[in-house]
Amino acid sequence: MIVPRRVALRSLFALAVTAFTGGALGRIATRTPSGAPRDPHAFDEMYGGRHLLGFTGPDGAPVALVDGRPLHLMRCADGGYVTPIDHYESCPTPLAATRAAVDELGTARLSRFAGAHGVPTDPTGGSPRGVHA
Amino acid sequence: MVYTRKNQRDLTGAERRKFVAAVLELKRTGAYDEFVRTHIDYYSADGEGRLRIAHMTPSFLPWHRKFLLEFERALRRVDPTVSVPYWDWTRDDSPASSIWGEDFMGGNGRRADLQVMTGPFAHSGGRWNITYAMTDTRFLTRDFGRPRDPIALPTRAQLDEVMRERVYDVTPWNSTSASGFRNRLEGWAPGRGNERFRIHNRVHRWVGGLMLGGGSVNDPVFWLHHSFVDLVWSRWQQRNPGAAYLPAEPLPLGDAQYRKVAARHQPMAPWGVTPAEMFDHSRVYRYA
Repeated sequence: MIVPRRVALRSLFALAVTAFTGGALGRIATRTPSGAPRDPHAFDEMYGGRHLLGFTGPDGAPVALVDGRPLHLMRCADGGYVTPIDHYESCPTPLAATRAAVDELGTARLSRFAGAHGVPTDPTGGSPRGVHA
Repeated sequence: MVYTRKNQRDLTGAERRKFVAAVLELKRTGAYDEFVRTHIDYYSADGEGRLRIAHMTPSFLPWHRKFLLEFERALRRVDPTVSVPYWDWTRDDSPASSIWGEDFMGGNGRRADLQVMTGPFAHSGGRWNITYAMTDTRFLTRDFGRPRDPIALPTRAQLDEVMRERVYDVTPWNSTSASGFRNRLEGWAPGRGNERFRIHNRVHRWVGGLMLGGGSVNDPVFWLHHSFVDLVWSRWQQRNPGAAYLPAEPLPLGDAQYRKVAARHQPMAPWGVTPAEMFDHSRVYRYA
């Protein structure tokens, strides 16, 4: 097992954000105590008619929401990010990757699979599907 | 009994119909969507600090060889005369190619929502409802050549360049490996614009729509694409009989890829087969 705790946290978080409303999340993400350092992964913008919101997740990795729905930002070895919508374009920042995903989304909304996928933990381990339940 | 995978352009009308019918039958029973789900589950990127078995990794080729074999086995339970044809995209490189015919893969998506409107996998036909995907869209989507930022399919010359590689894979065993057959064929490259999308990756981008993301298996052309990728690997193996799968041994503690990639004799989930066991397909199928 390599990083089961991190995987579990991410999955729990994905479930939690799915349960919340986009509006509540927006307030949580942007509310920063005065004087606290700015979240390096924060963004909050309208792009292509979608509301893009970014912030640092509980494990320190960047999190993106598109219209309140989680978009998995997958870190690449070149330092960039790909998303489940566009697996082939490594973008330099979480915001660029989120915009690239929106460019391909058309009129569609993200599904629950877009928030977290690809989570096998061990080469001999069986199905990783439990985390999706 | 060794069976043959044919170039899709050489299939007879009857062979096209039988392949489509077997795929639709797997969809009807739910088996097809399990293949979609498996591919979704095993996509992990190479900067995430955990095991990668299917993409951006040496086992990209043997993992997909096994994935195709499992799909083909399911197809052949429906119809023992069917195999997975291959799409040589260096040759059939246009939206007008017969692969996109109404009796086979169907055509491009329409402009408004990229929905595929023709062929057996058009949602309106009632037999191709998308179950597992990264969006809540229920229809198959395609966006040939990505008109807003056009890209062409890989050329024969580009593929020949990949075939000149002499080593299976090299450190750091991921999408940044600067040489080695695996990463050159998978198609990760530095640079700007469309230069970054090569060979296998470029084909996913050229088809676009669902083929671009985690739900790419929802487009049946996925199998024809990967059948050709597997053919290319097979031809490369023939040309380089001494070039075994690498890494041969599990990478040691201290290596940045320790426990992140499958070595030659390590099992690949979800099947438990090793890359070494996938190396020789000659007793199961051959390419025409």
